[in-house]
Amino acid sequence: MDIDILTNFFFMAVIAATPLLFGTLGEILTQKSGSINLGVEGMMFMGASIGLSASYFYEFYAGDGTIGYIALGLAVIFGFLAGALGGFIYSVLTVTFRANQNVTGLALTIFGIGVGNLIGDLLSTHAHGFTSSTEATRRVVANVGIPFLRDIPILGRMLFSYNMMVYFAIIMALLLMWFLNKTRVGLNLRAVGESPSTADAVGINVTKYKYLAASIGGGICGLGGMVISMVDNSGTWVFNCVAGRGWIAVALVIFAAWKPSRAIFGAILFGGLSVLRLYFPLDGVPAQVYDIVPYAATIFALVLTSIRKSKESAQPKACGTNYFREER
Amino acid sequence: MKKVLAIAMIALLMLALIAACDNDSNGGGGSSAGVTKDNIKIGVVHIGPLADQGYTFNHDLGARTMISNLGLNMDQYIPKFDVGVDPANVTAAINELVQEGCHIIFATSFSHGFQMIEVAKEQPDIVFAHATGALAHTPDAPPNFHNYFAKIHQARYLAGIAAGLRTETNVLGYVAAHPFAEVISGYTAFYLGALSVNPDVTMEVIYINSWGDPPLEQQVATRLIELGADVIAQHSDSATPAIAAQELGAWHVGYNNDMREAAPDASMLSPRIDWSIYMTFAVKSVIDGTPIPADWGEGLSSGAAFITGLNDAIVAPGTDAAIDAARNNIINNNMMIFRGHLKDNDGNNAQITDYDGNVIFEFTDDNSFFAESTTTSAPSFNAIIAGINIIS
Repeated sequence: MDIDILTNFFFMAVIAATPLLFGTLGEILTQKSGSINLGVEGMMFMGASIGLSASYFYEFYAGDGTIGYIALGLAVIFGFLAGALGGFIYSVLTVTFRANQNVTGLALTIFGIGVGNLIGDLLSTHAHGFTSSTEATRRVVANVGIPFLRDIPILGRMLFSYNMMVYFAIIMALLLMWFLNKTRVGLNLRAVGESPSTADAVGINVTKYKYLAASIGGGICGLGGMVISMVDNSGTWVFNCVAGRGWIAVALVIFAAWKPSRAIFGAILFGGLSVLRLYFPLDGVPAQVYDIVPYAATIFALVLTSIRKSKESAQPKACGTNYFREER
Repeated sequence: MKKVLAIAMIALLMLALIAACDNDSNGGGGSSAGVTKDNIKIGVVHIGPLADQGYTFNHDLGARTMISNLGLNMDQYIPKFDVGVDPANVTAAINELVQEGCHIIFATSFSHGFQMIEVAKEQPDIVFAHATGALAHTPDAPPNFHNYFAKIHQARYLAGIAAGLRTETNVLGYVAAHPFAEVISGYTAFYLGALSVNPDVTMEVIYINSWGDPPLEQQVATRLIELGADVIAQHSDSATPAIAAQELGAWHVGYNNDMREAAPDASMLSPRIDWSIYMTFAVKSVIDGTPIPADWGEGLSSGAAFITGLNDAIVAPGTDAAIDAARNNIINNNMMIFRGHLKDNDGNNAQITDYDGNVIFEFTDDNSFFAESTTTSAPSFNAIIAGINIIS
């Protein structure tokens, strides 16, 4: 087999994995605090459109003086804030008002898709057609890779030739892994997710932890949407651009067994499965079969973890139930 | 004044009666008595939201142009956006338009036909027009039910000329929606256009199995470029194939929308449908009480299909002239797009089949031609011809 097809396939899998990885990491952080936020898709849409707006208006006013790094930086900040706003709304409803987590998450999805497409439409109207990043910004988000390392045969293409958001996503996963497993605050957060009443008893502010985890987690999801609009689509608003990737991220959380390190491999695997058909088509196998594979793999992983009864790789115990101190 | 009005109304009523009695085999037309320019109400069931930058945007534009063409008021146009394809939603949307007193109701998606035909049977006084469908010529269809489409394959043929002249690798790539006639006739016409100016050209096709999935469309376009294609064309809703072409230094042919702003160095042109041509005709027919054919499909000659956004800076020299010559041949010499001894990849005669797989047409020799979209408005050509490689 041609080695090019394998490296190209891996490259495309990683590019497809990046928005998924952000969505998955954000949702892992949220669920570790005992909240299931099914609104990943909505928060990604909000991040996609509001992140793009920040870059678009900066470029609109900066004109030829646009500095690509500032445009991307603003997109990162506002994409994060937009997702965080989604997570914050979720927290207000579920933590303070103790609304049902599943219903709130689904409502947030519908809300976020609407807000995302509305803002995207307003941007397109403002641009009289399609928005588009300036050349300076396109250069910053292009797959330029790491100098020298990218020239290594095969490995250079597979590991060192991506855009900077790919590496940012992987650093984010490593940071989250360190935070959850090696820091006191991370331990506290996991305690809140497993047993909020116990955590409360030892003096951990459950409400504060839940608010922060869902909001920061939402912000990370928002970055996933921002990657789609700013990096993959080069600053062009495309209607419905997230197109269900947020739901795949929710499935990936289960597949990754709530572990950021496994999320990296899971995201690349799911990214690869989503483009598998384009590289390795089999005669007589309908495309729909390929589309089923990621979800079948998720169910398989879920069954496997439940058979093994491993406490390490199970969903945080308190997920789905709201904490109400007076009900202890 | 009242007398004049009364006489006018009676005259109109008589006209309507005559029209109603004019029971021609092609189906009925405007039949509701008392419909005038001032009181006519037009309903449209749109599959998507207005903001889709593609199909629904374009169909809504057609309705608005129709309103201004006929000098009507915008409040006479009652759109139902984002209805989707769920049968219960579609039926509800059509019935709401019936209750609002619409005299003619359009539906924009193939999937709307099954529900619309049922409502049409219950409401014989209302005219129903269904885009892209293929039910109006069936025995089940009542006379007030019509199909319409445009001969978009003619415009795709012209776009193919631009692609055939531009390509340097002689490989074209096509992001295709679904594997059925509407899409196959489109990309085959595109390929034949390219072939007419470049005998060495071949084409790779990958289906996305939906009308639009922005990230997948982009991945498919990227893969086609990896496979050697340097011109990417699409029958899918979003602009992401254009963006992929722009990023990877390929050229691009769009659909439904001018995509030059999204891909200034890639987007060469877009074949497009002008729905206002039919909508104007149909609404005017209802006002005038004249019949509407069961199936309507026009192309370049009336402007129902056209090309837009020719990017002079990047098309090959001579593209404009070659397109004009072909356009002239199609309009004035009635040149058929699907003509000649077309063969499949195994060297057999290309065959067009119906839904059940029965052969309805075969290209047996050099004089063969298939008159696409003349008897039914929806396309029928579904042969995979030599030179086109379906990857997945």
